[in-house]
Amino acid sequence: MAVEYEARVARIVEHAPDTRSLFLRGPRLAFRPGQFISCLLPVGGETLIRPYSIASSPEEDDLEVCLNLVPGGLASPHLLRLPVGAAVRFTGPWGTFVLDRAPEAEAVFIADGTGVAPIRPMLRRALATATRHPLRLLYGAADPERLLYRAELEALARQHTGFRFEHVPSARLRDEVARRWVDGDADRCRRFFICGVGEIVPALRDLLRRAGYERRAVQYEKW
Amino acid sequence: MPSVARIRVIFENGDPERVIEFDPARAPFQHDGKPGSILDVLLGHGIHLEHACGGNCACTTCHVIVKGGGNTLSASDDSEEDLLDKAPGLTPTSRLGCQAMVEDPDAEIVVVIPRYTINQIVSEHGG
Repeated sequence: MAVEYEARVARIVEHAPDTRSLFLRGPRLAFRPGQFISCLLPVGGETLIRPYSIASSPEEDDLEVCLNLVPGGLASPHLLRLPVGAAVRFTGPWGTFVLDRAPEAEAVFIADGTGVAPIRPMLRRALATATRHPLRLLYGAADPERLLYRAELEALARQHTGFRFEHVPSARLRDEVARRWVDGDADRCRRFFICGVGEIVPALRDLLRRAGYERRAVQYEKW
Repeated sequence: MPSVARIRVIFENGDPERVIEFDPARAPFQHDGKPGSILDVLLGHGIHLEHACGGNCACTTCHVIVKGGGNTLSASDDSEEDLLDKAPGLTPTSRLGCQAMVEDPDAEIVVVIPRYTINQIVSEHGG
C-alpha cells in the first residue's frame, strides 16, 4: 500500500466561479515538475481515488492543486466545497510526465484548459535551466479570460527573451499545432510536452508523431 | 450456464495467491479503470491493486505481469505502451491493469503483482 499523507487546506484561490487552486500544507514532498498527487476523498461512504497535478514548484512550501468543477463528477464538488483548514489525505508524488531540466532542443509546451497545471512547474524549471534553445507555450482556452496564470505567464515572457507564450482558442488547438510545427517547416528536432483533458491530447500526440517527430520527443498526459 | 473466467493472482511480495472467478459480462465490478479490466476485476473482488491515477491510464502503479492467458486480453494501445515504457521492472508481458480488459468469457489468466511502484520521496515540512 502506498504511504498516505495528510495536509490542510492553507489557502484557496478562485480563478473563476468553477475553477480553484487549493494550497495544501503538510509534509513537504520531494517531487519532480509535472507529477501529481492522488487524493483519497471520502464521498458517499467510500474512498474515491482522484489524481490532481501539482501546479506549484518543488521549491515552494505548499502543494498547489488546481481543479475545476466536473459536471456530474463526485470528487470535484467535494474538493471545491472544502474550506480553509480542511484535511486532505493523499499519496504521491506519482506520474512520469516530468521535466527536470530544459531539453537540448526547442521545447514546445501545449496546454489545454486546466492541463496547464503540470505544465506550469515544468515551464518554470525549463526557464530556470534554459539553454540557447527557445521555449514555447501554446495555451488553449475558450477565451483569454479563461487562461489560468495569465499574468504570471505574460511576465515570464517579458523576462525571458527565449520564451514565447500564446493563447489559442481550444477549438483551434489542433490546427494551430499543425500549422506551426507540422506544415510550418521540416524541423523535427523539437520536444513536446502536452497536457489537457480528453481526446485532444492523443490527437495532438498522433499528429506530431505521424509528422515525423520521434515517439519519445512527444511526451503527454491525458486527463 | 453463465461463463466463468478466472484470474489467478500471484503477489511478488509473498502474500497468498488468489483465484477470482467471474462473469466478464457483469463488468464493471466497481468504478475505476476500464470496465472488465484486470484492475476492475481485482478491486471488485476485494483485491487491492495500486492505481494512483484513478485507473485513467496516467501512471504505472497498476502494472501487472501477465504469465498466462495474455491472448484473451484486449490489445494495448499507444497510451498504455508509452506508460509501460516507464514502468519499473518492465517485462515483455507487462500490462497496465486499468487498461487490459478480459474479453474472452472463458479466459484463464495468470498475473503477477510486482512488489514495487514508482519511488516516492518525502521529507519533513520545511526540510
